[in-house]
Order: sequence, then C-alpha cells, then structure tokens
Amino acid sequence: MKRLRRLLPGLGTYAALYLAFLYLPVLLLPLFSFSEGTIVAFPIKGFTLDWYAQLGEADTLLHSLANSVIVGGSTAVLSTVLGLFAARAYVRHRFFGREISEGIVMLPLVIPGIIVASSMLVLFLFLGLRPSLPAVILGHTFLTVPFAVSILKSAFDEFDPALEEAAYDLGETTIGVFRRVTMPIIGPGIVSSLLVTFTVSFDEFVLAFFLSGNRPTLPVYIWSQIRFPAKLPNTLALGSLLLAFSVLLLLTAEYFRRRAATGQGARKESRDDR
Amino acid sequence: MTAETIIELSGVEKRFGTLTAVRDLDLELVKGEFFSLLGPSGCGKTTALRMIAGFQEPSSGTIRIDGEDVSTVPANRRPTNMVFQSYAIFPHLDVGDNVGFGLHRSGLSRKERRARVSEALELVELGGYERRRANQLSGGQQQRVALARALVMRPKVLLLDEPLSALDKNLREAMQLELRRLQQSIGITFVMVTHDQYEAMTMSDRIGVMFNGQLEQVDTPQTLYASPGTRSVANFIGGMNFLPARLHNEGGGTLDMEIAGFGAMAVGRNPNVADHGRNALVGIRPEQLEIAAHRPEGYDSTVQCRVADIAFYGESIHYFVEVDGVPETMTVAVPNYFHSVDFTRGATAWLGVQAASVIDLGRNRDNETQQGEKT
Ligand SMILES: Nc1ncnc2c1ncn2[C@@H]1O[C@H](COP(=O)(O)OP(=O)(O)O)[C@@H](O)[C@H]1O
Ligand SMILES: [Mg+2]
Repeated sequence: MKRLRRLLPGLGTYAALYLAFLYLPVLLLPLFSFSEGTIVAFPIKGFTLDWYAQLGEADTLLHSLANSVIVGGSTAVLSTVLGLFAARAYVRHRFFGREISEGIVMLPLVIPGIIVASSMLVLFLFLGLRPSLPAVILGHTFLTVPFAVSILKSAFDEFDPALEEAAYDLGETTIGVFRRVTMPIIGPGIVSSLLVTFTVSFDEFVLAFFLSGNRPTLPVYIWSQIRFPAKLPNTLALGSLLLAFSVLLLLTAEYFRRRAATGQGARKESRDDR
Repeated sequence: MTAETIIELSGVEKRFGTLTAVRDLDLELVKGEFFSLLGPSGCGKTTALRMIAGFQEPSSGTIRIDGEDVSTVPANRRPTNMVFQSYAIFPHLDVGDNVGFGLHRSGLSRKERRARVSEALELVELGGYERRRANQLSGGQQQRVALARALVMRPKVLLLDEPLSALDKNLREAMQLELRRLQQSIGITFVMVTHDQYEAMTMSDRIGVMFNGQLEQVDTPQTLYASPGTRSVANFIGGMNFLPARLHNEGGGTLDMEIAGFGAMAVGRNPNVADHGRNALVGIRPEQLEIAAHRPEGYDSTVQCRVADIAFYGESIHYFVEVDGVPETMTVAVPNYFHSVDFTRGATAWLGVQAASVIDLGRNRDNETQQGEKT
C-alpha cells in the first residue's frame, strides 16, 4: 500500500475527486428540494417545505408507495428465507458443486439489470405470468438473494455448530434448538438481511419498470413524473425522502449485522414457568 | 468385571464412505470410573465418543447404557451429557441461563431449577456467577460453565472431548487435578477423549489406547506404562528405547533373552503381549537406565556407551547415547539432583540396567526388515 502511494502520488486527489463526482449530485437533490424555484439552478431562491407538503396529497404517489412496500416486504421475506437455507448449507456443509452453486447464486450482482429485466419479461410472458406485482416480487427476489446469502453467511460463519449440538444434548428437541439457540444467535443477521433486501427492492427501477405493468412501484412513478417540469420540485422532495429512508434502513441493517457477527443477540431467555 | 457396568460397547463400528473411523470396538465401562480414550489425532476417538453421546449412529454393533440398548436413541434422550472441545457456551445467555438450559424441560419449578443451577455452579467453584455474561468469562471459566451445564442434568455418564486442550499449560495442569477431584467427589462416570498421554495418565482410572480406529489396549495408567501390549502403545505412552532381542527359552514367568548390546538377561513375561517368537523386542524406559562414569555396581547388565547429544529439561537431563550392537540411539533420563550436567558430548560412559526394568514386547515384527538393512 505504501509503495503504491509512492508510485502514484496523485492517488489521494484522484480518490477525493472520484467520490465528489459520485456523491455531490446526490447531495444536491435534497438541497434543491427545499428551494422555492421550480428549476434546478443556482442561486437557490428561498426556503420552502411546500414541495414536501404537496406529496401527501398525490393519490397515485401514495398508491405506488403502497405497491413498493408490498413488493419490498414480500421480496425481503422470500429472499431471506431462501438465503437462510443457502447460507447454512454453504457454511456448514462441504458438498459437491458448492463453489459453483455459490458463484451462480451471486451472479445477479454482476449481470446488467436491463438484460435480467428483458429476459425475465420474456420468460414470465412465456409462462403466462403477465407484468404485475407478483412478477416484480419474483424478479426482485432473484436480484436480492445474493445480498441475503452474503449477510447470512457471515452470521453462520460466527456460529459454532457445537452450540446446536450442545442444546440438543441437553435434551432440547430439534425445534426447541432452533427456537432457543439458532434464532436468537442468527436473529440479528436475519433482521439485517430483511432490511437490506427490502431497501434494494424498494429502490430498484429497471426490473420494476419492465415487470410492474399498470401498478408502478415508487421508482417507476418517479421516473414517470420527471417528464413534467412542473412536477420536478415534488420529485426532488420525494427522491430526498427516499434517499434518507434508504440510508436509515441500511445503517440499521449494518448495526444488526455487526451484532450478529459479535454474538450479541437477545440478552435474556424468557423465564416462562409452567 | 465384578463392578457394575454402566456402558457396554460391543462390535461397534463407524464407517464414513470407504473410511472406517472406528473398527470393531468392544468396551465395558464401570460405574464411577474415570475413563480416557487416548490416541493420536484422527484415530477415531471423537467419533467413538459421539456415538456414545448419540450424535452419530454406529454403522454396526450395539451400545448399552445402564443395561438399556441405546444404539438408536438420539442424543437428546440419552442419559449422557457432553462437554464440548469449544465449550459451546451459548453467547446470548448469561451463566445462569446457560447452566439451567437443560432443566427447561425437566418439569422442575423455577425455584428448584435455580437451586440446581447454583448448586452446580458451586460445584465448579463459580458460585454467584449466575448473572455474568458469557463473553465476560475467561477460557477456564467457560470450561467450568460447560461442566456445570452438563452436570446439572445429573447424567449417568459425562462425556468430555479434549476438555482441556484450549487452555494454556499452567491452567491445564491445575484443571487436570481439579477435574479428577470433582469426578471423585460426585462419583459420575467420566469418559474423556484426549491425545495428551500425560493428561490421560494423571486423570484416569483406566485408559483405552486407540490407533487407526482400533482399540489396542485398555488398562490402568501404571499397567500401560509398565506392560504395554504393543510397540505402538509403548511408543505413545512415555519415552521408550526399543531393542531387538533373541528369545532362547520361555520357561514359566521369565524369558531368557539375548538383548542387543546388553547381552543375556532373564526378562519377566508381559501378560499383555499377544505372541512371542525367536525374534523378540524389548523396551527400556529412559529413566530406568543408570548412566555413570565408571562401571556401576549391582546391575543385571552394564555396557559402555558414547554420549552423542544432551538435552537439558530443567528437572531432568536427557543423554542420547550410542551403544555397540544397538541399532538406534538410546535415551537416558537422569533427574537433575545437584544442578550438574555430568557428561559432555562425545564422552564415554557406562550404562546399567536391571532385568526388572526391561519390558517384554513380544515378537519383533519389523525384525526382518532390520536384518535386511544391516550393512
Ligand atoms: N462426519 C464425518 N464424515 C467423514 N469423515 C469423518 C467424519 N467425522 C470424522 N471423520 C473421519 O474419521 C476419522 C476419525 O476422526 P475423529 O473421530 O474426529 O478422530 P480424533 O477425534 O481421534 O482426532 C478421521 O479420519 C476423520 O477425518
Ligand atoms: Mg477429536
């Protein structure tokens, strides 16, 4: 690392510029959402919360928000359940084809979204599934399973299999072992996976655009609004809210992921007496 | 056995695909004894223990605990409990809930359960630690919690898989004695798995020595040390100088032998040895040899030797010596009496040995190859 820095003295500057280029536009979004003017340009004219207030009255927006929550919630549950099985198998068992299968599961992370989206559309139409929310849910599940698997794998990595054996040895049933040992220890990882997969689905545009049909999700709705210059400030306000919400969810997810990794699950067993 | 049998393994075998991890295991354990399974890593000790615990079903053979055939009974319904090598302390529970974990289904009232937990914690000298978090415990304390958690179940047999291997040396030695004392005071049968011969010898009433999935010998530590039945057992427990010998006459309790380097001696017959033959093998423990500057008096055999190397251990000194007619370098262990190392490398000295110190190891199986290699 040190040698690399000596070889490329401009590396630090480059990194700073790169980050600025990447994130400054994102920071401009909330900035202009408070501006009284309807065009995005400096200098900013006055301060207002009107654009935010107007959001509450837009019916189609609220519908698309509901669609997004339905899609995000279903996706999160589906991909986390799938991820749970996969991660446990990858960490605990050495089986034939494990590495290849892991690679395939991670593939959606690197395939261009537009390709996934168009091929899914073709596939779903072929299977008789018309563009709809269930179609988006399936597409998003495919897309978010890699996130669930990698989060849950790190939770299982820290999990000594002897813990489950010890519980079983102490007379617990298989289900009891899962409830009293596996769940409390893996729990934070599960929460983290649910939050991350929800966020990814909530923010996803391309798949949703192809597969949602006449029930747009929030990003698809925003895209449709960008065509109307008069609606731009509202869109900026909505975008800013979305940004804040996503960051909040991801931070919470990271908190739980770390808790899972350090084994700081629930503190106390419920002391149920019979 | 006259004493009451608690565990009886007969013809127990465990195969993983083509690998046979445990082979034709016959073993009877007595109520209240401290038994150790000793052997090098990978010899099948853990597999044997896990079959007793119920985590693995034998491929063939039967396991009885207290007279009942438990071969197909799963771990959660066997009267055994296990202390895991990693201790497996539940990280999300405090010490009290860890120890009380298994009492959940016992039907005991909360008050009774709490009493049992604190009693078990007292037993392992962790009285009052109920509300400690698992991650606030040292390695030694985790070990005690794991013990208490198993003992609170009042098992008929306590199983321990390398229970001390994760502790550092001083703590390990202290725990050896403490575990032994604990076992004697509660009288539960302990079955411990270890690859550490000293651990097995200091703690156990009896030891079963395993190699390659096969139980080679079951005996008290003293018997294993004094009369090992095979060369591998002799080699694994304590140091041993192996010497080829010729058996001239096997009459009664003694064998007349011509021992390489040491000449004719009458060696006591080892009852644990399977078969004898003209080509014989004997062993002499390093501390049973006397080394002196002049020919020592009163020994059954004395020979001259050259000191090839010296190792200073503090409490003892090891001389590695060469004796004419003995194929391998011999080791002589001498207590460090007066803080002096009496011989230097290259010096000549005398060895003395009593016939009673020579261990009969039966037929010499690699005698043929050794003859072939001779120049
Ligand atoms: N679940 C398993 N599947 C396949 N092979 C195993 C399994 N458990 C143990 N073995 C093999 O059985 C042999 C004995 O293992 P083990 O009982 O753990 O030995 P030890 O405890 O004496 O070190 C080893 O070769 C090990 O690789
Ligand atoms: Mg082992």
